[in-house]
Amino acid sequence: MRNITRTPESSEHSPQFSRDGLRLLYRRMPRGETLDNNHHGTQGALVLANSDGSAPQAFGGEGEYTWASWSPDGKQIACLSIKGISFLDVATRQVVRKLERKGFFQQLTWSPDGRGLCGVANSFGASWSIARMNADTGEATAVNRIDCCTPDWFPDSQNVIFSWRPRGQSVNNGYGWTQLWRADAEGKSRSLVYAEDGRHVYGGHVSPDGKYVLFTGNMQEDGDPGRAGAPMGLMRLADAPILGGDPSRLKAEHPQYRTGPVLALPVGWEPCWTRHEFRSASEPGKEATR
Amino acid sequence: MMNSTSCRLLLLLAIPAGLVGCQPPAAPPPAAAPADSPVTKLGSIEVTARLVEVPEGAIFRRELYDYATILKFEVLTTQRGETHASTVYVGQYNPFKPRDQAADRHVPGIGGNARSLAPGRVYRMALESPLDDHFMGGIVNKYFGQDTGPLYWAVWTDAAD
Repeated sequence: MRNITRTPESSEHSPQFSRDGLRLLYRRMPRGETLDNNHHGTQGALVLANSDGSAPQAFGGEGEYTWASWSPDGKQIACLSIKGISFLDVATRQVVRKLERKGFFQQLTWSPDGRGLCGVANSFGASWSIARMNADTGEATAVNRIDCCTPDWFPDSQNVIFSWRPRGQSVNNGYGWTQLWRADAEGKSRSLVYAEDGRHVYGGHVSPDGKYVLFTGNMQEDGDPGRAGAPMGLMRLADAPILGGDPSRLKAEHPQYRTGPVLALPVGWEPCWTRHEFRSASEPGKEATR
Repeated sequence: MMNSTSCRLLLLLAIPAGLVGCQPPAAPPPAAAPADSPVTKLGSIEVTARLVEVPEGAIFRRELYDYATILKFEVLTTQRGETHASTVYVGQYNPFKPRDQAADRHVPGIGGNARSLAPGRVYRMALESPLDDHFMGGIVNKYFGQDTGPLYWAVWTDAAD
């Protein structure tokens, strides 16, 4: 791991690579300020940089350009605020067009094909629903309702990965743990990706080739943003669904699920990744990047 | 906290008392707001209204997730502005807290002297509408799918009975 911002006087958070892997956006705030798990996309100032962290430039001031997300080509950003969803041209900083936010209030993410937005919404009968919005028409539909968060797109733009704490769990004193799920963007079907008896799982982010998912999570439901986050995990989507940690109690409830390999990574919060190559012992010579 | 069941029990007890006098139970006269209360100045609408009910699960104590809950009020008197109907659905931020402790750095400027939000109680409220223009966050809306009309945002809530 290496620090790509190198700004000891500041805290940086909520990073997002552009889909083409060339650009990076994140938010920067004074070091003494504490991250708020429900408002981190509004805290501090938006910074745009090259994906290696070079040439960082503040894009507006404190509290501006909130919940920003890259367009597929990295030339625009979509921002979510109480006034609606704004699409901005990065070069000119001009608002290209606007949409009503339709109850979206957190974690806006623009799809890789540019045709959809997903986010956390409160307009579908239950708070903290995952919803999808047509980026052209503004039509919004629920993907999954009640106690969901941290949605992101699969590279095919047809599916969404998100965190969800299903009701009816017996574990964690009946409160249950937040789990990593996937669903089609129409909200017609969903399936478990990863669950762990002992921590809430957040921040699922699918690799550009759609084969892997990166996530984090911890015992505290807020994701522990006040510190460095929690150990991240990496798994193959082909292995899903996986029960992590001690699977005995979850397996009793869901005998169809199984344990599987998860690569434990250093602590992190709201992870994001871009293109990659994994090198195995049988394929020497390939170099891992980013 | 009283739930809707408690509210119904109270109503059952109140009806015989009204029948004895052959008069419908009268709404208490709206209490005058203290002259220095912000309720008379904030928001674009000011009403005195009775909280009809608190649906199961609409108010819960949870510090981690700040939220607004939608509550149903029967308007008794309109002091300023206009509501679309005599029944209004109002978003109250972090409703488990006394109103003077509900504001935070993300939602400043709200308050009031109401210590709690209880069914049957009467409140004087300064409101804004639509809610989405004044609050962006988690909303618990047990009335989803019903014909609520525009949702209102409670800027200031004083007890009025």
